[in-house]
Amino acid sequence: MSDAPRALTVTEAMTLAKRTLEGVPLRVLGEVSELTDRSGYKAIYFTLTDGSSVMPCLMWRDAFELAGVPIRDGLLVDIGGALTVYPPKGRMQFQVRSLQAAGEGALRMQVAALGRRLEAEGLMRPERRRPLPEYPERIALVTSPRGKAVHDVIRTLRRRYPLAELLIAGVTVEGAGAVEAIVGGLRAAGASGADVVILGRGGGSYEDLMPFNDEAVVRAIAACPVPVVTGIGHEPDTSLSDMVADLRASTPTAAAEAVAPSLDELESRLRAIRRMLGRALLHNARRDAHRLAVLRARPVFCDRAVLSAVAAQRLDAAASGLARALPGPLARDRTRVRVAAERLGASTIRALDRGRTELRHGAERLEGLSPLGILARGYAVCYAGDGTTVIRSASALTPGDRVRVRLHSGDAGCVVETVTDEGANTP
Amino acid sequence: MTETAASPDQMRFSDALAELESIVTALESGQMDLEDSLARYERGVALLRACQARLTEAEQKVTMLMGELDSDEGADEA
Repeated sequence: MSDAPRALTVTEAMTLAKRTLEGVPLRVLGEVSELTDRSGYKAIYFTLTDGSSVMPCLMWRDAFELAGVPIRDGLLVDIGGALTVYPPKGRMQFQVRSLQAAGEGALRMQVAALGRRLEAEGLMRPERRRPLPEYPERIALVTSPRGKAVHDVIRTLRRRYPLAELLIAGVTVEGAGAVEAIVGGLRAAGASGADVVILGRGGGSYEDLMPFNDEAVVRAIAACPVPVVTGIGHEPDTSLSDMVADLRASTPTAAAEAVAPSLDELESRLRAIRRMLGRALLHNARRDAHRLAVLRARPVFCDRAVLSAVAAQRLDAAASGLARALPGPLARDRTRVRVAAERLGASTIRALDRGRTELRHGAERLEGLSPLGILARGYAVCYAGDGTTVIRSASALTPGDRVRVRLHSGDAGCVVETVTDEGANTP
Repeated sequence: MTETAASPDQMRFSDALAELESIVTALESGQMDLEDSLARYERGVALLRACQARLTEAEQKVTMLMGELDSDEGADEA
């Protein structure tokens, strides 16, 4: 037994195992399960499995946060690190240093990253979405010319809205060359004169739908001059194409239903219009009939006495016409004019009377001022001997002077006998 | 009748419908005299008839822009 190696302590054995395992860096691919991610813990824990074996894993929180992979149960991951042993529990686990999503998980993360970039560019803003034409004349369809999708759309449109012409760009929608084909199909559809475009394909795996997550396809949808409706049947996944489309339908059939009204809807709409037309016409006719009835009810039209004489009837018809032609305000004006005219007449007469009276007084006053008038009242004018100088004061006279005295009628030659000068007593 | 009203059969379906709706609105406004109402009504009826005929007679027209349609109707059932 002395040749045999010395027996190790348990601690020594576990330490040896730990060193050995930690010296071998590994990359392991597997699916995450039993994930424990509690904010208080210094590490996150999960079990990696491939369906037949399981491997307990731990990743220090700072390394996990640095990796930036939002892991969840079921996610396929590619991890780097090494196996180690935790001696106090004798338990082996994988200490994860690097973490990446793998497979579909990786695709989804790429798509999510592209989605964030396109969203930041504003391509997914709701206000970019255009309304669909109500009654399209031409509908373009970009899809595989083989398979269910194209026939679903043809059938749906034939049933719902055969009015529109259907233009089909049959393109490869999966595998190599699909992205270029879809982009070409979208361009051809956009330039075809169609007023709406359907981009469709039937269901498939996530990988099959990758062309619809391609940046070139997404940008071709955004650049399409007319609205694009997606019908990419892969619920519950949403592709980036769906996110930039003007409308997202769940399947090609649903997309066809979304772009076209149904014949039933259209026919009921036409029926409604027919009813409204008839009703509106009837309403207008009734309104006019009512107006006629109101006119007919006027006395002019129903008083027999008035109607008996043709002349009177014509007169009244004319009067009634005049009344209609002279609506309220005008008739009021007419009355005002008449009243004003009457008042004007009265005041003119009054003014004339007043004028006449004044004239008479004036004439009388004027007559009083005339020398003839004064003479008529018994006064006389004394002229000097020359017959032109009026004698105003006795002081201008001496006894024996000859004067002429002008009376109201006629004059007399006189001789002054006496003179009595009264001084200041002038006329 | 309006100045140069297009023949209802020559019009786009959506234009005919739009005109129909404007006629209904105009008639319902009550601003129109009886003669105008009648003329509009007649135009409306002609448009209605054309739209209706279009719906019943429409046959889907399919044109290939690119590719060849797999015309195997079996694909219908696929």
